[in-house]
Amino acid sequence: MKFLLLFFYFTLFLYGQNIDNCLNCHQNTTAIDNYHPYKEFGCASCHGGEPKATSKEEAHKNIVLNPSRLEHASMFCGKCHQDIINRVDKSIMNNMHGVLDVLKYQFGETKTIEKSTGIEYLKNKPTQEQSLAEDHFSKLCAACHINQKEEIFKNTGFTARGGGCVDCHRVEDGQKIAIKDDILKLKHPKLSTKIPNSNCLKCHNRSNRIGLSYFGKFESEGYGTPYKDGNLTHQIDTNRYYYELPADIHHTSTKMDCIDCHTEAGVMGDGKHHAHMEDAVDITCKDCHDPQFKPSNQFGLAGLLSTLNGDIPYSKEIAVTKKKNSPIYNLQKEDEKIEFYRKSDGKKFDLTKMSDAPYHSSKNHERLDCTACHSSWIPSCYGCHEVYFKDGKQYDWIKHKPTKGKWMELRSYLRYESPALAIGYNKKIMPTAPGCQVIATIYDKDVKVDEFHAFAFAAWDPHTTQKESRTCIDCHFNPQTLGLGAGILDIKDNNVTFNPHYQSKEDGLPINYPIDALISKEGKQFQSFSRKDARGFNKKEVNKIIEAYKCIICHNKWDDTIYKDFQKSKKLFYDKKTSCSKEVLK
Amino acid sequence: MKLTILFLLPLVLYSNECITCHPKKMEQCKNSNHFTMKNEINITRSAWGIKDSNVTLQTLPMPKDTIDKPADLVDDFLRRKCLQCHLTSKEINPTQNLCLACHSPHVNKQDSFKAKPAQEKCLKCHNNNYIGTDYLGLFPHDYDKAYRSPLTKEGNYPKRPYGIDFHHLTPDIHHQKGLNCIDCHKNGNDKKWEDKVDCKSCHSDISKQNHQEYHTNISCNTCHSAWNISNYELNVLRDDTKNYKQWKRLTVQEDKYLEKFLKKALKNPELKPQMPDYLSNKLEDGVWYSGWRFKRWENFFLINDENGKIKIAIPRYQYRISFKNEKGEMIFDDVSQIDGKKLEAFIPTSPHTVIKKAKSCEMCHENKIILDSNLINKDLFQGAILNGSPLLPKQLEKLNSPYYKQQRAKILFSPK
Repeated sequence: MKFLLLFFYFTLFLYGQNIDNCLNCHQNTTAIDNYHPYKEFGCASCHGGEPKATSKEEAHKNIVLNPSRLEHASMFCGKCHQDIINRVDKSIMNNMHGVLDVLKYQFGETKTIEKSTGIEYLKNKPTQEQSLAEDHFSKLCAACHINQKEEIFKNTGFTARGGGCVDCHRVEDGQKIAIKDDILKLKHPKLSTKIPNSNCLKCHNRSNRIGLSYFGKFESEGYGTPYKDGNLTHQIDTNRYYYELPADIHHTSTKMDCIDCHTEAGVMGDGKHHAHMEDAVDITCKDCHDPQFKPSNQFGLAGLLSTLNGDIPYSKEIAVTKKKNSPIYNLQKEDEKIEFYRKSDGKKFDLTKMSDAPYHSSKNHERLDCTACHSSWIPSCYGCHEVYFKDGKQYDWIKHKPTKGKWMELRSYLRYESPALAIGYNKKIMPTAPGCQVIATIYDKDVKVDEFHAFAFAAWDPHTTQKESRTCIDCHFNPQTLGLGAGILDIKDNNVTFNPHYQSKEDGLPINYPIDALISKEGKQFQSFSRKDARGFNKKEVNKIIEAYKCIICHNKWDDTIYKDFQKSKKLFYDKKTSCSKEVLK
Repeated sequence: MKLTILFLLPLVLYSNECITCHPKKMEQCKNSNHFTMKNEINITRSAWGIKDSNVTLQTLPMPKDTIDKPADLVDDFLRRKCLQCHLTSKEINPTQNLCLACHSPHVNKQDSFKAKPAQEKCLKCHNNNYIGTDYLGLFPHDYDKAYRSPLTKEGNYPKRPYGIDFHHLTPDIHHQKGLNCIDCHKNGNDKKWEDKVDCKSCHSDISKQNHQEYHTNISCNTCHSAWNISNYELNVLRDDTKNYKQWKRLTVQEDKYLEKFLKKALKNPELKPQMPDYLSNKLEDGVWYSGWRFKRWENFFLINDENGKIKIAIPRYQYRISFKNEKGEMIFDDVSQIDGKKLEAFIPTSPHTVIKKAKSCEMCHENKIILDSNLINKDLFQGAILNGSPLLPKQLEKLNSPYYKQQRAKILFSPK
C-alpha cells in the first residue's frame, strides 16, 4: 500500500517537471479531483496541444477537449490507466454487442448467438446493407453506450449519454465563464470514483429496467397519474411515466448505491469479450451475505480504490467476489466482525449474513437462485409490436444522422405482480418476464409487405429484493409463477387443469397460446430464451412443484418436520403411516 | 323545475307512437333506472361530497357557476362525462324516441318480435369497465397511443367498437352458447329488466357434489366468473386552459368527442377548450380529462353484498379530482379525500364472464389480496366497501380453517 502511494507521488513529481504554459491564461481553472492536480500534471498531459507555446493559436493546435473519449483515452488517460482502457474497450457497455447479438438471434437472423463487435461492427456498414435487427439496433438501442457523442442529445428531451470515461466518472459538469475577451475562467468537470446512481440511470432505465426497479419505480402504462397542477406527473423521459412500488431493500434500508455492489471489474470489464451482461457482472448475493475474506495486501487495487474513495478505511482483510476473485474493498473483516461501508460517504453498516436455516439449506430448494424467492415484483411488458416503415427516415444513433427506415413500437399490456419463474442462464431458478415478444409488421409506402414474430422470455435479477420471501403457495400453486400465465389452475381427479384468461387468437395475435404463457401445464415451452441454459419448467418440474403443493396446503411452514426428508415423508404418507394420510387418502 | 319540463318534452313529443299501445310499459320505464339513472347519479354525487343526494337525470341541477370544491363540479362532470349515455342521448339514440334506445321499431302484434332489444343496443352503453362487453370477453386497453395493438393482418390499426380498443379474454359461456342479454334479463309482468337474475331460475339442477352446504352464502358468480374488470384510481381533471400538448399520446380516453377535439386542438393550440353537456346538448367551457392508476383482470377479493352473499369486490368511485380554471389557477388539486374519507371504494359485482368450471378453491381461500401481509400496493385495497361489507373475522377464519384444508386436501389427493 505504502509503496503504491510512493509510486503515485513519484509519478506526480515526474509530471511536475513538465509543467506547461496553459495556466498562464487558464489561471482560474477549478480542480478535477485530488488526484490529477494541474500544478503537477499541467493541462497538456491530458488535453494535448502545444504546452510550451506562447500564443493561443499555437498552443491549441491538436488540442483535445474531451480526452476521455475512447478514441483519445489511450493517448492521454492511458499514460496511467491503460489497463482499464483495454478492458473498457472490450466491455459490453462500450460495444453493446450483447444487445445486438441477442437481437439478431431473436429476429431469427442468426441460429445461435454469434459474437460480434457491436457498435464497432455497424459503424462502417451502409444502412442499405443492414439487416432488420441491425437497423432496429441502430435506431432504437444504440443511443446508450459509453462512447456515444454527448452533444447529439441536445434538445431531445433525453439525458446526454456517452463521452467515454466521463460518462460514468464525471460527477459535476464543466462550465466556461468569460472573464476578459480572451481569457476564460474554466470550471473543469469534476471526476470521481464515487459514481452517482444518476450516471448509471442515464442508460439503465429501459429493457429490463433494473435502474428504475431498484428505486421502486415501475414504468407505467403512460397515464402520468396522479395529476398535479393540472399536469401529468411521474415522468421518466419524453413519453414514459412511472408509478411507485416497493424499492429494493438495499436501497430502502441503507441507501446503497449501484457501485456498492457492482465492482470495478464487473462494470469496466475483465478484458474478456463477454456475450452477455450477466457474464460481465462480477457480484453475486452470496459475495456479501456469505462472504469469503482474503488478506487485502494480495490486492493492490483494493488499497488504491479505498485511497481514491477517501472515506473507506484500509483493512487487513477484505471480501472478494467468488466469480472473478476481485476485491470488494468496502466489505471488511476486523476482529472477526464484518463491516460494510457505503462508498458514497463511508458510513458503516452491519451486514446480515445469510442464515443457514432449512429454508436456505434444504436440498428441496437447492436449485433456487436467491432472486427466485426474494424478488417481490418484476416489470413485465407483454407484446412488443414492432412496426417498420421501409421508406421512412429515423435518426441513426451510430451514424449520427437520419437514415432510411423508421421504427415504431406498440404494446399489449404491463404487469408487475407474481414474477414467473424459469431456469435462468445460471441453470438456477430465477424470475422471468417477456424479453421480448416481437410481432413485427413491415411496410413499404404504407402498404404491409411482410411480417414475422418471435416470442421470447428472459430471466434476470429484477433488483426488487425484499427480506421476506414469497410464500410457499405463491410459487407452488400460482399459474403465473409457474409460467402458465393468468388463468384458473386446479386439480381434480388427480388431473391438473388450467384455463387461461388471454385469448390470443381472438385478439388477433399470431400465436396459438396465451401471450403470457411461457409453458403449457404439460411443460411444453411456447416462448424461447436467448440463453443456452435458460428454459421454462418442464413437465417433470411442473408436476413436482404442484405435487408439493398438495402437502403445502397444510404444511405451509419451512420448519415443518415433513420437509427434513421430504421423500421419506411422502413415502410414509402414501403408505398411510402418517396421521393425515388416514384422513386425506381415500 | 323548468329543466324538468325541458327533459320530459321529448318524451311527450316523440313517444306518442309507442304510448298508444304501451301505456303501462311507458309508466314502468319512467320509474326505471335506465330512465332516471338515479343510482349512478346519486352515488357519484355523494362520493364527491353532496350529502343525501336524491336527484334523477330529469331533476339534475345545472352546473354551478362558483366552484370551490369537488361537490360544486360533480353535476358538470356527470353531464359531460358519465351521462353521454342515457335513453335520449344523441350519441346513442339519434331518434330521440326514448323507447328506441333499446327497442327497434315494429308496426303490429305480428312483428312485435322485432322490438326485442338486440344485444348491440345494450352494448351501446354497457361497453366499458363495468358489466356488458365483458360478456363477449372484452377488456378495455390502456389509453396511451402505444396500446393500439395488435395491428390487423392487413396492417391496419385494430377496429375500435365503441371507440375502445379491447383485449380478448375468455368470453361468458352463455355468449359462447349463443345467448343474448335479454335471454337472462327478461322483462315480464312480475319482472323488470333491471331485476337481478337468479341463476337457479334456469340452473335448478346443480349437482350437490360441488355445491356443498358450506358454500350456500356465496353468489354463483363469485366462483363461476373467470375474470373481472378492476380499474384502480380514476384521476379526473377539468382543465379550462389550452394545455393540450401533454395529451398527445393520450387522445383516446374512451370518449369519442374528446378524441376528435384533441386531434384538432393538437394541430390548433388556440382552439377554445370546450366539451358538450350531454343533457343540454350545448358546448360548455372546459374539458374533462381522465386517466387510471392501472387496470387488471386477474385481481379481486371477496366481500359480502347487501343481502349477505359473498361476492367479488372491484374498485369503484376511486376518484382523484382536479380543477384548473381559465386563468390557470388550481381551484383544487388532486383531491382524493372528501370529508376526511379517502375516495377509494369497492363494490360487489357479478362479472359476466361466467364459466362452467369454477375458480379453484385457492383463488379465494388463498387470495393474496385478503391474506398476504406483504402484498404490494396494499393501500390500494383498503378502501371503503359500498353496497356491502367486508368479510367478517369469522368468515376470514373459515378461509384458512383446518376443515377447509382437510376437505381441499382430500380433493387434491383423490385418485382418478
